[in-house]
Amino acid sequence: MNKSTNMKRLPLRKKRGPFLYFILPAALLVGVVLVFPIIYGFGLSFFHWPQVNDGTRSFIQFKNYLDLFKDQEFWHSLFLQLGFIFIAIPIELIIGFFVAILFNHDFPFSGFLRTLLLLPVFILPILSGLTWKLMLQPRYGAITYLLSVFGMEFPQGILSDQSLAYTAVVIQDIWRMWPFMFMILYAGITSLPKDVIEAAEIDGAGFLKKTFAITLPMLRGTITTAILLRTIDALRIFSEVFVMTGGGPGNGTMLFSLYIHKQAFEFGKLGYASAMAVILIVISLFFAFGLVRKNMDIDTM
Amino acid sequence: MRKFMLVVLTVLFATMMFSQTIKVLAWDDAHSQSWNALVSEFEKATGIKVDLELIPSGSMLQKTSLNVTENKANYDLVAIDEGNVAKFGDLLLPYSQWPAGKVFPKVGTTDIPAAIFAAAEWDGKLVGIPNNGNMYIWMTREDLINDETNKTEFYNQFGYELQVPQTLDQLMNMCVFFEPKGIFGFAPFTASSEGATCEAVMFFESFGTSVLEMEKGNYKVSLDRDKALQAIRFYKELMSFSPEGALSMGHAERIAAFSDGLVLSMFQWPGIVPSHENEDESMVAGQIIYSAPPAGPIARTAVRGCWIFGIPKASSNQAAAAEFAYWVNNYEVGLKLAKLGMTPVRTDLLNELSNEKPWYTGMAEAGQFAVSRPNRSVHYPELSEVIKNNWLGAVTNRMTPEQAVDNMIKELTELLETYE
Repeated sequence: MNKSTNMKRLPLRKKRGPFLYFILPAALLVGVVLVFPIIYGFGLSFFHWPQVNDGTRSFIQFKNYLDLFKDQEFWHSLFLQLGFIFIAIPIELIIGFFVAILFNHDFPFSGFLRTLLLLPVFILPILSGLTWKLMLQPRYGAITYLLSVFGMEFPQGILSDQSLAYTAVVIQDIWRMWPFMFMILYAGITSLPKDVIEAAEIDGAGFLKKTFAITLPMLRGTITTAILLRTIDALRIFSEVFVMTGGGPGNGTMLFSLYIHKQAFEFGKLGYASAMAVILIVISLFFAFGLVRKNMDIDTM
Repeated sequence: MRKFMLVVLTVLFATMMFSQTIKVLAWDDAHSQSWNALVSEFEKATGIKVDLELIPSGSMLQKTSLNVTENKANYDLVAIDEGNVAKFGDLLLPYSQWPAGKVFPKVGTTDIPAAIFAAAEWDGKLVGIPNNGNMYIWMTREDLINDETNKTEFYNQFGYELQVPQTLDQLMNMCVFFEPKGIFGFAPFTASSEGATCEAVMFFESFGTSVLEMEKGNYKVSLDRDKALQAIRFYKELMSFSPEGALSMGHAERIAAFSDGLVLSMFQWPGIVPSHENEDESMVAGQIIYSAPPAGPIARTAVRGCWIFGIPKASSNQAAAAEFAYWVNNYEVGLKLAKLGMTPVRTDLLNELSNEKPWYTGMAEAGQFAVSRPNRSVHYPELSEVIKNNWLGAVTNRMTPEQAVDNMIKELTELLETYE
């Protein structure tokens, strides 16, 4: 009697036993570090919960959520956050895609250059934010100087203007994260079946035809994965913006995550901040399911 | 032998039982590290063991919140930023009830300038003792104002002697005078942080108005529109004599501009001054005069931001905790601690050590004019946010001064009504 026959005869409870033992440590870990904080945060969002226990902590039902919808700053930060996602990620995708196509062809030093291009992804966000802040300084910033060479003067400072500061935050993110898109798309492109593209070439398809009729459709799953990962990552963006602008000038770069941080750790309103965090989770799930349902089979994730 | 062992064990047991250990929580920097360096002397003198925990200042609020409540005190002595006194005030033992020291005398309320001691005030009484003298001091370039050519030219132009600015009008004249010489008269604080609120408070108070005033235990908006507008317009005019990037200057930018020798005068916090006096970091080291900030049309004000020591009511080691706080603020001990990096708060220490550290003179002088931010409210961070955003909106040209003042009054009133 072989092993599989033995397994078939075991009752279901016994069959599951060994698997459960293996899964349990991971499940416990996920439960402690992921599920518990989410449930705790969700629970907290129904409370008035000041950071310092001044005796006013109380259950207030949906008041935090109702207050959120009346809070103009909340909508403003959400608008900035979504704007950030809808501007930065498509640009990162386009740059990453075309550079991936470029590197799909062999040329001298391509391996070395490929490694070099990936460097920004490995820079800590906080360092990236700090470096960009310094490069944008009006008196000694490298970027400010380069712009002045091309006749673009910003004597009051790029980060002093709300629109320019927001643009700078977006550009900083594009600079740091487009190689991530490139990395994923390059892996996708190199794994595409060569014969399809060769057949198209024999049929006389040009670069644009091959790109838009063959490469892009075949990469749909990979692109969706890349967008999904970047979107979730972009929803959490915090440290680079925090050090670069602190959410200013005014509230010009007060992205959603910065606003949550402000409410929780500057204003000490943990319940209110938790309600915002719940909204952030809902938005993340909305993006995730939206992208997955529309563009890919869940099993390819 | 058996008897000897018994005696030894008894003594050891008694020592363990009767030697007290206090837990002290404070922020980590050169100031507090000096206590750590000499804490063994305190332990030797008092027999009290000290478990001194130093953490980043940004984590202090969270840590204190978790460890000091009405019924629980995991620390016997906690350092509290003045801005958070309102949050913990009710949980702290009033200073009048602090026990007398057995080894180090209780610090008198006259040993420290009253305007600084007020940092520990909550609900009409002192609930602790300041442990650093943190308030605006004014820095002016000595080499520039003592230059004979400058003195003569300035006198000819304005009819009075070039000196450390005593008033904001004098400061403005100096800005005008030094502009053609390539020196910026002033460096503002315009980064989106608490520093901007401090600037607003200083200028509003100097022009004779307060943003908020306490009435029967509650804050009421008290900003005088005309005076506030004058203050903002004056500040904007000063900013026209500032270095490039004046619309987003935080500590780093201001330090760099002053230390590069570009700026004539500006305020600074005492904790940052050593970097201006460090020859490796500053081109103007040894060339700075320190004083109280120049007076506005109505008042002379130095914004205060001290840390205090508080003893939680729930602590079971209150006498020992008080002893440690008295040690930190003791005159003889202070002489040693100051050498190790502590910025003293006692007037006698500041005067005694001003030869070694010239900015102490400015601190002693500014201490007489210290004013608080309206931070005796648990909602202060939100109030400060409104003040900061509108002040910055006006001085960085995102809105008109009129809009900013009207917004400030409206938003503060609404906020206070929400919490009433």
